[in-house]
Amino acid sequence: MTDEQGQAGPPEPADYPRKVLFVAGAGRSGTSTLAVLLQIMGLHVPRPEVAADASNPKGFGEPRWVVDHHDALLAEAGVAVGDARPQAWFETGRLAARDEERARVARWLEGHFEDGRELVVKDPRLSWFLGLWRIAAERADAQPVFATMLRPPAEVAGSRQKYYNNKLGPAHLTASWVNMLLHTELATRDSTRVFVRYADLLDDWVRTTQHLGETLDLRHVLDARSEAIRDGHRFIDPSLRRITVTLDELDLPRPLRELTAETWTELDALADPGGDTADRRATLDQLLDAYVTLYSEAEAISRSSVVAATATGGLPGGTVDRPGVSTGSTDDRGARSLADRVPHSWRAKVPPSVRQGVRRALGRTR
Amino acid sequence: MSVDASAGLSNLEGHHDVDITWPWTRPGELRRGSTAVVRVKNEAANLPFALPPLLRATDRVLVVDNLSTDGTPEVAAETAARAGLADRLTVLSYPYEVARAGAEHLAQHERSVHSLVYFYNWCFAQVATTYSWKWDGDMVLTREGELSLRDLGRQVGREPAVVRLPRHGLYLDDDRHGYVDLGWRNREEWGFPTGPDFVYGKAFEWEIRRTPPRVRRVVLPDLLCVELKHLHGDEFAHWTDPESFATSWRNQRKRREWELFHALRDGRVPGGVLEVTAPEGVHVVDYVTRTWLPRRLRV
Repeated sequence: MTDEQGQAGPPEPADYPRKVLFVAGAGRSGTSTLAVLLQIMGLHVPRPEVAADASNPKGFGEPRWVVDHHDALLAEAGVAVGDARPQAWFETGRLAARDEERARVARWLEGHFEDGRELVVKDPRLSWFLGLWRIAAERADAQPVFATMLRPPAEVAGSRQKYYNNKLGPAHLTASWVNMLLHTELATRDSTRVFVRYADLLDDWVRTTQHLGETLDLRHVLDARSEAIRDGHRFIDPSLRRITVTLDELDLPRPLRELTAETWTELDALADPGGDTADRRATLDQLLDAYVTLYSEAEAISRSSVVAATATGGLPGGTVDRPGVSTGSTDDRGARSLADRVPHSWRAKVPPSVRQGVRRALGRTR
Repeated sequence: MSVDASAGLSNLEGHHDVDITWPWTRPGELRRGSTAVVRVKNEAANLPFALPPLLRATDRVLVVDNLSTDGTPEVAAETAARAGLADRLTVLSYPYEVARAGAEHLAQHERSVHSLVYFYNWCFAQVATTYSWKWDGDMVLTREGELSLRDLGRQVGREPAVVRLPRHGLYLDDDRHGYVDLGWRNREEWGFPTGPDFVYGKAFEWEIRRTPPRVRRVVLPDLLCVELKHLHGDEFAHWTDPESFATSWRNQRKRREWELFHALRDGRVPGGVLEVTAPEGVHVVDYVTRTWLPRRLRV
């Protein structure tokens, strides 16, 4: 349909109110798919972005600065990206309480509103710092809104094992999923939020995205141009969901398996219209209590392993999930190399051809 | 002299209605989450400002009224109902006169029902969550302050962590006009875990929360909380007399408040104090906490 002459044209994005959409959820849950799709709709992903690779050939939709900054904060907090400890939330939370940290993140956001009034910030590490980003957005006079991607935990664990060759095992991966998702739900409870099933996004992205746009009042989605919709169809590929595993195939300890299954049932229902109810939140509170108890019991009976690992420098059967070192999804891109610790502004001065050669020499794709 | 945190506490006067049963000795576990404990006496004018953000920032607010004559308990209930958060509020009454800070406090044994120490321990013994916030009925959070308390309250878990929160005096001349003291940095401890290592003991002028030797501290940023002072009221009624805060460095904040209060009443604006006038139709407390302070934190 074309606008008639004299009829009001579509609203100008420059007039949209400032908003930041934070895309949370475990890595390999479709967070990249949603972020890139919304970028196609016209929301702005702050640049430079993390480049696509074999694990995510259509791109990550991740601002490089956010990834680097989260890595630095996680290292300082002594927290791993896929940390299964409930107590890890306090370690990252205390960093978020610092005034200078709030100011730094707010300044970074502020600098990107010139390029777009509706920003998308996505990173698998984001859940650890949701409070920090919410405050930073408000300091930048923008409304923070949240979308949490949901994918069955067995598929997430399976995908992380396949694409990132994670050696810590399905029980750890599943526990870290429970820890991250339950805390993400809790942390976004009092904000404008939406839960999105990865399967729904792949099955009917138009309906799913419209629901998201309406719930979060994202003008770029509500006012999407025809060409953006066509690009959306070119981008979404239902075959993206390549891993279909069930919890039964993961051979989990029974209490963890039951807790994970129940957690998924409740989280999954949050994505239904009218599913975000007080009763469901109360059930999720109980599940979080159960997880905290389960983890502290496991911790209490496995101290010999920790003592032995401290003495020998590693846990039996796998690499150590080191603080600030990504494990998992894009969280499992391997240990931070020396190059990763060089500030981005310096790395950017190295010619692309040289960077490519160095990466090849190190056996890395990114 | 010390408070036994393992068994319960009874008082010297034998008033069994305020015997103390510590929450960690009750059947069942403490609930994960945070409770703000607001001990009040005649705070009806301030609670409509103080309670709504506090109710949003915590899982439960416990208002303990101590012999108010201005309808404080009713105002607390009405305020929570108006905010749609009545289910988070509990109002209790402590029916014994409590010593004022300073000389009166010093003279009381900490096991007396009239001691600030006993009063505080009784109040915090009503907490059923793993974390607690000590709060005053005249302290008002900004939106960022509210978010900060809520996040930390959810993240702290069972960590032995104490949270400091700076607050700034807001001296109220009338509904639209006041003064904010940004010349004084006061970072008191307000957040504490609930447990036997964190009970109250006696200090020289007032009570003190005991802590274990190794405790972790988190300091929140400035400009997230104001403390209301009514220039046309009696802001020092909870002190025995001005002599009680005349000597020690411990009381320098109170001396600063005394000096500012009297200077402003005399029409003088001391250094570090900023005059604020709210727009027509907006109360100055709402203006300062929702607009004026947040604007100072904007990038």
